[in-house]
Amino acid sequence: MNSVSPESGLVVAAVLFALGLGGVLARRNMLFVLMSIEIMLNAAALAMITAGARHHAADGQVMFMFILATAAAEVAVGLAIVLLIYRRRRTLDVDEAREMRG
Amino acid sequence: MTGEDVIILLPLVIVAAAAVAAMLAIAVRRSHAATAGIALTGLAAALAEVLVNLWLKKGYVGHLAVMDNQALFVIGLVLAANLVVGILSYGYLSRRRERAEEYYVLLLLAALGGMVLAISIHFATFFLGLEVLSVSLYGLVAYERGRLGVEASLKYLVLGGTASAFVFFGMGLVYFDRGSMIFFWVDWLYGQYGPGPLGLVAMVGCVMMFVGIGFKLAVVPFHLWTADVYQGAPAPVTALVATVSKGAVLALVLRMARGSPWAGYYFGDRAVYYSGGVCPSAPVFWILAAIAVASMFTGNLLALRQRNVKRLLAYSSISHLGYLLVAVLVSGAAGATAAGFYLVTYFAATLAAFGVVTALSGANGEAESLEDYRGLAWRRPALAALMTVAMLSLAGIPLTAGFVGKFYLLTAGAGAGLWALVIILVANSGIGLFYYLRVVWAMFERRATEEKELPRIGVATGVVLAGLGAAVVLIGVWPGPLAELVRAWMGGGW
Repeated sequence: MNSVSPESGLVVAAVLFALGLGGVLARRNMLFVLMSIEIMLNAAALAMITAGARHHAADGQVMFMFILATAAAEVAVGLAIVLLIYRRRRTLDVDEAREMRG
Repeated sequence: MTGEDVIILLPLVIVAAAAVAAMLAIAVRRSHAATAGIALTGLAAALAEVLVNLWLKKGYVGHLAVMDNQALFVIGLVLAANLVVGILSYGYLSRRRERAEEYYVLLLLAALGGMVLAISIHFATFFLGLEVLSVSLYGLVAYERGRLGVEASLKYLVLGGTASAFVFFGMGLVYFDRGSMIFFWVDWLYGQYGPGPLGLVAMVGCVMMFVGIGFKLAVVPFHLWTADVYQGAPAPVTALVATVSKGAVLALVLRMARGSPWAGYYFGDRAVYYSGGVCPSAPVFWILAAIAVASMFTGNLLALRQRNVKRLLAYSSISHLGYLLVAVLVSGAAGATAAGFYLVTYFAATLAAFGVVTALSGANGEAESLEDYRGLAWRRPALAALMTVAMLSLAGIPLTAGFVGKFYLLTAGAGAGLWALVIILVANSGIGLFYYLRVVWAMFERRATEEKELPRIGVATGVVLAGLGAAVVLIGVWPGPLAELVRAWMGGGW
């Protein structure tokens, strides 16, 4: 039953988080940046579940539900903003969003 | 959740109900005045309820939240700032837009998020408060839908979302290591085993949490979004980002650093060496100290070369958060009191400054360039006087609130023996003088060029601005009563 150790779950979560962070830093398409943020949030949720499993408590899973819901809210707002930008500039390149400097 | 819990949380319930009522009212009939009325009434009612709650009911709500004096104080501050921003927004939006009703729903939700942060003693409430506050701010920043606003909102969203992910992952790691998500219980476990070194997992978790919190507070090196968001957002929203968002997160950091009712027992009441709360360790102390110093210098030095008033205020806010971190490092009752007082003065002066920016912003464009302020003293003496008072207070000139606030910070820092930080704080106040006085200087210059039409100011806006100016001066001249109040409320206990 307990063949998977909590530590290995944490490692998976850390790898996921690193992938998401790498995506935010390297991707230039706004949609992929949003997806990368989503991956990071899900990595955090996985870490919560792993931690809950380690302590045999449901708290981690409750936190997972919270993170799931708020991540959806965040991405909904994000997509609305991306849509606004696309209508205005006809591009999804994040490097185009740089009118303000200094 | 019992009936008693609902009474304890009544200020939050009122604001949440007002948000729902505003949303329903929009569905029935679109009316700017009616929606604004609902929102402002809700905020005012909640503010009145805070005063009632002070005597009526305080206490813990399960393991998730606590309504103590500090929470009530911060909630009061958040509500008052939101009320001011709401009134300023009404004039601002009615000059510019046909449809502005949803703005007030977002405003109420931002207040709600700040209030949840103020009562949080558990990672779950911390997380929910942070998200409710942040997501409504993303919407507010983009509300004008101009090029700059949308661009600012996207930057804020991407960096803010990343910061949230850092905070949540850090929480997960701390929970993994400690087996509890309650701030003071985490603390209590340390107490049981002695405040020894953190495990590697918890240490990484603490650092990640502080990375995310650093983003929200806009301290160096996580400040890159600040100037762009300040510039791109509508002026009243910028005021909200500068005050409510940062103040509520700082209050949470204070609570985390303070730990628990038991922290004093384990670490001594006047915790000179940063009792640490959730993350008690020497490296965390040194990292925070380095962040404070870097924020003070970077904020002040970058502000020197700004010609845009909103960007200038953005960099100034970075340095002010650096000052406030000194109080966090002092920790304990002394640190919380100094931080509470400084927050009041910073809120009043910042709201006054952005209030002037808002009042000068007409239908076509905001008054953000330093050029827009040239000769203001000869055309709008009252507004210029208010801006002068706000700038002098932010600079920390005697007889203004900012001076007294800095004085309390310095006293607290010196009391805890943080001499290096105290000296750096004083030096940075000197640097700050230059750019604050440049704004004042510009306003008193004689203007030779053609004059632009200035927007009219409504009665409500005028009253609020006058009140802010009076508060800044009054606190500066006669700080005694407020100091007593802050000591009683932020000093801990019920």
